[in-house]
Amino acid sequence: MAILEACVFATVLFGFFGIILKKNLMMKILAMDVMSTGVIAYYVLVAARGGVHTPIASEESLVYADPVPQAVILTAIVIGFSIQAVMLVGVMKLARDNPTLEIHEIERSNTP
Amino acid sequence: MNIVTIIWIALPFLVGFGIYLLPKLARALALSVALISTSYGFWQIVAPADLTLELIDRFGVTLMVDSLSGFFIFTNGLVTAAVVLYCWRNGKSAFFYTQAIILHGSVNSVFICADFISVYVALEVIGVAAFLLIAYPRSDRSIWVGLRYLFVSNTAMLFYLIGAVLVYQANHSFGFEGIRTAPVEAVALLFVGLLTKGGIFVSGLWLPLTHSESDTPVSALLSGVVVKTGIFPLVRCALMVPEIDPVVRLFGVGTALLGVGYAVFEKDTKRMLAFHTVSQLGFVLAAPEVGGFYALTHGLVKSALFLNAGNLPSRNFKTLQKTPIATPIWIALVIASFSISGFPLLSGFGAKVLTMKNLMPWQVIAMNIAALGTAISFAKFIFLPRGGEGQPKPGFWPAMVILLGGLFLANGAYYEAYTLENTIKPLATIALGWLAYLVIFRQLSIKLPRAVERIEHLIGVMGLVLVLLFGMVLA
Repeated sequence: MAILEACVFATVLFGFFGIILKKNLMMKILAMDVMSTGVIAYYVLVAARGGVHTPIASEESLVYADPVPQAVILTAIVIGFSIQAVMLVGVMKLARDNPTLEIHEIERSNTP
Repeated sequence: MNIVTIIWIALPFLVGFGIYLLPKLARALALSVALISTSYGFWQIVAPADLTLELIDRFGVTLMVDSLSGFFIFTNGLVTAAVVLYCWRNGKSAFFYTQAIILHGSVNSVFICADFISVYVALEVIGVAAFLLIAYPRSDRSIWVGLRYLFVSNTAMLFYLIGAVLVYQANHSFGFEGIRTAPVEAVALLFVGLLTKGGIFVSGLWLPLTHSESDTPVSALLSGVVVKTGIFPLVRCALMVPEIDPVVRLFGVGTALLGVGYAVFEKDTKRMLAFHTVSQLGFVLAAPEVGGFYALTHGLVKSALFLNAGNLPSRNFKTLQKTPIATPIWIALVIASFSISGFPLLSGFGAKVLTMKNLMPWQVIAMNIAALGTAISFAKFIFLPRGGEGQPKPGFWPAMVILLGGLFLANGAYYEAYTLENTIKPLATIALGWLAYLVIFRQLSIKLPRAVERIEHLIGVMGLVLVLLFGMVLA
């Protein structure tokens, strides 16, 4: 469990440093996606428990796993991918005038 | 009451998409939603319902309406109404109004949420709607400014999400009270998200470029209400959990000084206003008990100032000192500048007195310096030459009537402030500020470096603030 947790946090950090260090706008967006994958995995990890039942309504009362974190993260996944989509549309528009999508070039030409 | 609240919170989203189906009615629908929110907010200020709606079962998903939410909702309603009136004859498409109303609705929902996950959802909707409004002109620059905003806010919200699940793990509830028993890292992660989203201290340095490069009405919306969504949960947590209170107050002081430090040296009108927003949010956080009233006056005055700045002949103070501006616009500008400097008869005075009364002893000196800085920055507007020619945009005056009228009326809400001692202090601060401006700051031409506003630094600063917060919460 601890190793799994470490891997999840490593993913988050890799994504975070990717956003900082990558020079290309497209790569930055992908790095952000890596980071959000890490966060989603962490929610799954928090909800994961051994020895309990799947949370499905039944006649007898069972010890069931906590469905809340996963339900919540579904919302976050949907939000995450819609933001990703909106950003990619923005990048498509920017790519017409900055075909290389280098962040420094875009930043220099668009900052007053 | 429950039903009224639920209808009111769902209405902007229904109407927002409805506008797309009935583009001819876009402006009228948008305005009526804003007015409904204004009256709902006003009602909560005068007769707070203190309503708590909890989702069945024990996840802590809660809506909470009280007078604090009332102040923020009222601000949101007035500012949105003013912006809609400002755009009335400027030929904005139905798309613009759809986004503005969805933004309005999600801002409203932040102000009544009392759990971390509803706040997350509302903040993300705000992020997308604000991006679409910023990128509305579809120029390369506006798209870049919008993308930069989304990058910063989405990364901050990812940290926030990790914090939210840690709170859940500790309490099996997402409610705000859970922050008391949550581990320190949860507090630090949640705060990084909210501080960044709210434009506080160094993590708020994304704000000046975003607010100054947006279209005039969008800047007014962003600076007037949207940034307050980041600080509202902080204020609410500080009020619910006394252990958090000193941290929030400390960040308030830090951001008040940082923002004003940039604002006094700034030579561009809109950037000066944006830096000043960073500073004013500090006043809201410095005294969380009375943050609502301060947020109301700041929201009204800052959107009035942004709309004014959009109707001046230039954005550069140096050019403006040589080109006289039309007297009516000048008068509106000066009323707003007086209010924000804390001059009596306008509600900025009452708000400043109230905030100063509720400070901790260690905050007093720093906040007085910040107030002095405000007077210096706004002397730049007050001492501009008047008597020039020029017509403002068609919707300018109706918007000003709402915003400046609100300032005059809100002044009556705290009339106890008018004692001799209370009146002398702001007047002395303003006099000192003007003197400092005329003697020192008018001649200065120091250009502060903009390197910290590069996107890598904005993201990197989040890491630093996270470490700082760990240290603070542990201490």
